[in-house]
Amino acid sequence: MERSIIHLNIADFAVAVERRLDRRLAQRPLIIAPEGAVRATVYDMSEEAYQAGIRKGMALRRAVRLCRDALILPPQPARYEQAMGELLRQALPYSPLIEPGQRDGHLFVDVTGTSRLFGPPADIALRLRRQARKELDLAPIWTLAANKLVAKVASRLVKPLGEFIVSPGEEETFLSLLPIELIPGFEKTELTRLLELNLTRVNHVTGLGPEHLEVVLGNRAGPLSAVLRGEDTSPVLPFGKRPPRVTASHTFGTDSNTLAVIEGVLYELVEQVCKDLRNRQRAAQQVSVCVDYSDGRRRVRQVRVQPPTANDLALFPFARKTLHLAWNRRVRLRHLELVCDRLVHPPTQIPIFEHERRPFMRREKLVSAMDKIRDRFGRHAIEVGRRLTK
Amino acid sequence: MNVPSNTNSADGLQVGASGYSYTEWADAGFYPPGTPARKMLSLYAREFSVTELNYTWYQMPKAAAVERMMISAPPGFGFSAKLTRTMTHEIDPGAWRGQVNRFRQGIAPLLQANRLRAVLIQLPPSFDRNRNQRIYLAQLLDTLNGLPLAIEFRHRSWVNERVFSELINRRITLVTVDVPDLPYLFPTVDRVTSPDLFYIRFHGRNARGWRSGNMQNQFDYDYTPAELEQWSQTIIPRMASQARSGLVFFNNHVRAQAPRNAKLLIQQLQNTR
Repeated sequence: MERSIIHLNIADFAVAVERRLDRRLAQRPLIIAPEGAVRATVYDMSEEAYQAGIRKGMALRRAVRLCRDALILPPQPARYEQAMGELLRQALPYSPLIEPGQRDGHLFVDVTGTSRLFGPPADIALRLRRQARKELDLAPIWTLAANKLVAKVASRLVKPLGEFIVSPGEEETFLSLLPIELIPGFEKTELTRLLELNLTRVNHVTGLGPEHLEVVLGNRAGPLSAVLRGEDTSPVLPFGKRPPRVTASHTFGTDSNTLAVIEGVLYELVEQVCKDLRNRQRAAQQVSVCVDYSDGRRRVRQVRVQPPTANDLALFPFARKTLHLAWNRRVRLRHLELVCDRLVHPPTQIPIFEHERRPFMRREKLVSAMDKIRDRFGRHAIEVGRRLTK
Repeated sequence: MNVPSNTNSADGLQVGASGYSYTEWADAGFYPPGTPARKMLSLYAREFSVTELNYTWYQMPKAAAVERMMISAPPGFGFSAKLTRTMTHEIDPGAWRGQVNRFRQGIAPLLQANRLRAVLIQLPPSFDRNRNQRIYLAQLLDTLNGLPLAIEFRHRSWVNERVFSELINRRITLVTVDVPDLPYLFPTVDRVTSPDLFYIRFHGRNARGWRSGNMQNQFDYDYTPAELEQWSQTIIPRMASQARSGLVFFNNHVRAQAPRNAKLLIQQLQNTR
């Protein structure tokens, strides 16, 4: 069945929320950033500040040089959370399938099959926008498409104001002439590589055969090619239901950029999530690492885990690889978070070949033995050497 | 009488529905179950020779998308494009002229292919007849000059002989509406103000649903044969005798009542002939 996904997107959400509270801030260049921090970065900015060249994540010092008359306000996550809640409550009568972003003014609403109750999807979208304007004093962009990916790209086209309907079946045509940077899902290195090859538009890339695409994008060629054709089957999750995931995090007492210390902490997080996974009898297919730098900047990266595992020793190399994708600045880390998701039942097939089976069995036995010791004598009864570097 | 034919000809009378892309029409049996949206126009065009594009009210038409849409319909199939709401319902005094230019560019493929039957300017109930609104409307009509314009008022204050005279001077079609009998609504006025075109819209007579704010209630109405006979036997023939062509659209889209009523009207008109 063709789906109808509405994407609501309030441009410069933090600024919109602040302006709602203080009308004097309208039309004035505004930067949201933690001003007191030594190396603070821009959290959000108004359209006027954007036009002056300021971007999210830019060092505040540089941002102020670019736009000297900008007013700087500290981030107020609780306010944004509340505004998101209000927006969400307005959408709830239309569908149980509502997926909000994290305090960012983004909302996906799946209104498939509701037209007999509420009318055409475009009318629902317009009603949501009007309600948000009238009751919340917020003016979201709205887009309508057959999947989340296309709805999201469409909203990027009309920012900061407007609407866009992509008719079902028009996804590929709609995307084909767009700049590749507008398409979500690409790593920075992949974008750089494509631009180096002068592949600047979607149709430049989709015009390549699979074998050529693989040369450029490696094993990501397949999934990225689907993205460029506008294919996205991911569901809009029911509100309040996130896909199952296991997380662990650590805040450094003193910000650190010592590799051994950070990898030691990462291993500890891997142990925690793997134990949790084993207790749930699940294995992870994807691992994500989120690093928070001393200057408030955040970076998240993820890596696919193949084969799925819940073994500390097997998962750690993936987690370490993800860490180094995320931690690419010479700035101390304040906080580290490890997330395992896309959970599946652990594979029952043991490796067939001897050279694979032997290390696999050794890892399994070792972790199993450590679990037994810890269950009996406590969490710190036995440690791996890597963790002693703390 | 240049009336009851459901032909593809630009002249004569054409009857259709306001919009064609409704998934609930598949549930109601007008389209086969599971019909994807991209196939709806071609299926719709087997039954009717004209449609109103109401998505152009929600968003500015884009020439490339309009061109692709035209391919789905047979040659000669006609379109009436509804003016985008940023020029009728949500007017930005500083930006509407630019919007008109964008709208013209968006519908250019229809115009070029001689498939544009009308541009429908549907004004909201809040758009009453006061000095500012009159000035705005005059400017809007000037800016849209050259297009086959049809104007639908929703506020009763526009029932005024000077308004009709001005429309006659400008050869702009006044849309005749069939609506619930509510005191504030623009009533049924069957004045033909342009010798080129008369235009009728059937919205249904659901008085209770009209102000519900929900289109599913507002346009939920099934015309009886007797109600349509008033139109097919008297009003439409009279209007048709005063204009070269006519468009009739049913907007009561809920549960595919619009195409069902449109077919019934065509049948009655053919019998009248």
